Amino acid sequence: MALCSRKGIQNLFRTSGLVAILAAATLALSSCGGGGGSAAAPAPAPPPTLPPPSNGNQPYSDPTIYSSAAAASLAATVVEAAAITRHQINLHGTIADYTATAGHLTAREPTTGAQEAAFFYIAYTLDNQAAGTRPVTFFYNGGPGSATVWLHLGSFGPKRLVTGDPSTSAPTPFALVDNAETLLDTSDLVFVDAIGAGLSQAIEPNTNQTFWGVDQDARAFRDFIVRYLTVNNRLASPKFLFGESYGTTRSAVLANVMEAAGIGLKGVVLQSSVLNYNSNCGVVNLVLSCAGYLPSYGETGAYFNLASPAPADPVAYAQQLRDFTVNTYIPADVIFLTNRVLPTTAVLSQLQGFTGIPVSLWQSNFNLTPGVFQARLRPGFLIGRYDARVIAPVGSALASEGDPSSTFISAQFSSAIASYLVNFLQYGNSSAYVLLGGAINTWDFSHDGHTLPDTIPDLAAAFAQNPNLKVLAVNGYHDLATPFFQTEVDLARLGSMPNINVRNYAGGHMTYLDDISRPLERADLQVFYQNALQ
Amino acid sequence: MTTEAIVKKLPVLVLLAALSVGGALHAAEPALQTPMCDPCVPPALRNATPAPQTEGAALQAQVERKLRQNFDAADVQRTGAITLQQAKAAGLGVVANNFDRIDTAGTGRVTFDDVKRYLRSRGAKL
Repeated sequence: MALCSRKGIQNLFRTSGLVAILAAATLALSSCGGGGGSAAAPAPAPPPTLPPPSNGNQPYSDPTIYSSAAAASLAATVVEAAAITRHQINLHGTIADYTATAGHLTAREPTTGAQEAAFFYIAYTLDNQAAGTRPVTFFYNGGPGSATVWLHLGSFGPKRLVTGDPSTSAPTPFALVDNAETLLDTSDLVFVDAIGAGLSQAIEPNTNQTFWGVDQDARAFRDFIVRYLTVNNRLASPKFLFGESYGTTRSAVLANVMEAAGIGLKGVVLQSSVLNYNSNCGVVNLVLSCAGYLPSYGETGAYFNLASPAPADPVAYAQQLRDFTVNTYIPADVIFLTNRVLPTTAVLSQLQGFTGIPVSLWQSNFNLTPGVFQARLRPGFLIGRYDARVIAPVGSALASEGDPSSTFISAQFSSAIASYLVNFLQYGNSSAYVLLGGAINTWDFSHDGHTLPDTIPDLAAAFAQNPNLKVLAVNGYHDLATPFFQTEVDLARLGSMPNINVRNYAGGHMTYLDDISRPLERADLQVFYQNALQ
Repeated sequence: MTTEAIVKKLPVLVLLAALSVGGALHAAEPALQTPMCDPCVPPALRNATPAPQTEGAALQAQVERKLRQNFDAADVQRTGAITLQQAKAAGLGVVANNFDRIDTAGTGRVTFDDVKRYLRSRGAKL
């Protein structure tokens, strides 16, 4: 996910009061409003004070100033350096030693060796493992323009923030705890920021803008991954990708270019997918069927006890909703979109029963978009886009940015990463860690001759070059940004693919924030890794 | 659930791809501003012409085009066949790393058809 609300950023600033956030906000203000242009460089704050070296820890005070501005470019003399710290964690009953590495590596153009960009990454590696067999997984959020803070501090790293999702009453600041569901027992974990986000930046003669495009970005990620594997003697390690949202778009393109380069992958995890921008009616104004969202509307209505008859459980209900969507809603929506003719009252009543949205609203908005659903399901309230189970009264601070599920957690993640870098990772830098840069405004979304990316062919090309590749798509039933059924429909274009599995959970875009779903997702990931490593 | 299971449940899947017709159907909606990203696109791109949602033979043709583009980029002399050195120079590791297995005739040069044959032998649907 990525925060992209003008008011949201202002609010973020107001509530956090951190100098680091001010700089992030300055840059993010231009995002999504069509503003663009390079942001003014904030006055650098004094570098944070780091603990002294001890117990094998090597703190690093990085003197480089990083910028997420489109025109920003680092000098070619930039160095590869990182803070290294030693930690322990209880992995299911066993105390394990692990190393955290936080710093930069420079991606290099594969044929010329020219430096492209300094990627900021945080790697968690279990000590005393055989590099040839120990898996390594590369995580990234999307946006485009988002730092990888959500996956890093929310999902399967060794530490996670306690959000209490979908409640909005968790204590703040969110507690940072050892993560019982970390994947560190299964794989080394590398969280990497896209160029122009976090602390990643292009190197001259490139600018950040050079890499702000579907293909340019994927090639740069490939080159970072190759650099990481080369520097750390991990080229033989089993390799996995774990992207979220736009990160799934990136993963499909990246998987293809990595397979073409001969850097074979074992598996790709797609967290809340947008594999085809041309099929998501919440992203584009195309007069596109919103049928992909209908099962999510139903699951959300059921969550609020508005579905009638009340379904027994989300899994069985999902199948009922898929069947109704395919057999009844889609044929009716085709007629509506073609002729503006509504179906019978019986069908409208069924829709009300499945979703809780009244017949009258179906009459006025038959091809119901997610934004309208958010605003109208619970009169007087706004429900979340990223997690539709999160609810806030209209006019409240939580509802003021258009997505209470995002508003509740964003400032918390912002402030948490700033202190985590210094105190836990012992990486010091006076630049702002940019949660969301302005990349999206000038991003080159074109791909394969189309204005907006369809990456199903990229995924298919990756499979053509590596038939052993395994893909796991995970989705939340209550995500109104990348609906689970649309992901299933998009993946179904690939035909019969036993190497692709889809798992859905109660939860939103970030299913891993849910305390019930996170262990379920971890269990499915364990099975996925085992199968992929056979 | 495998995609096969999904496909079986989606007899009218193709309709989703067909739903691109004229008319401003969003006009009746309340002006709820939810400028939250990921995924989202800048306003100027929201009315882009949609890409066709290919499957089957059309999708396989797209895959083949992608692979051929990579091959052609390595075929700098436009001879229709590339050497191991040309594959390496272009960063085409999928060919370079498997060159001997692709070059079954041992000529030191491989064509795009040779590459396809090799990938098919490994299970690719090409």
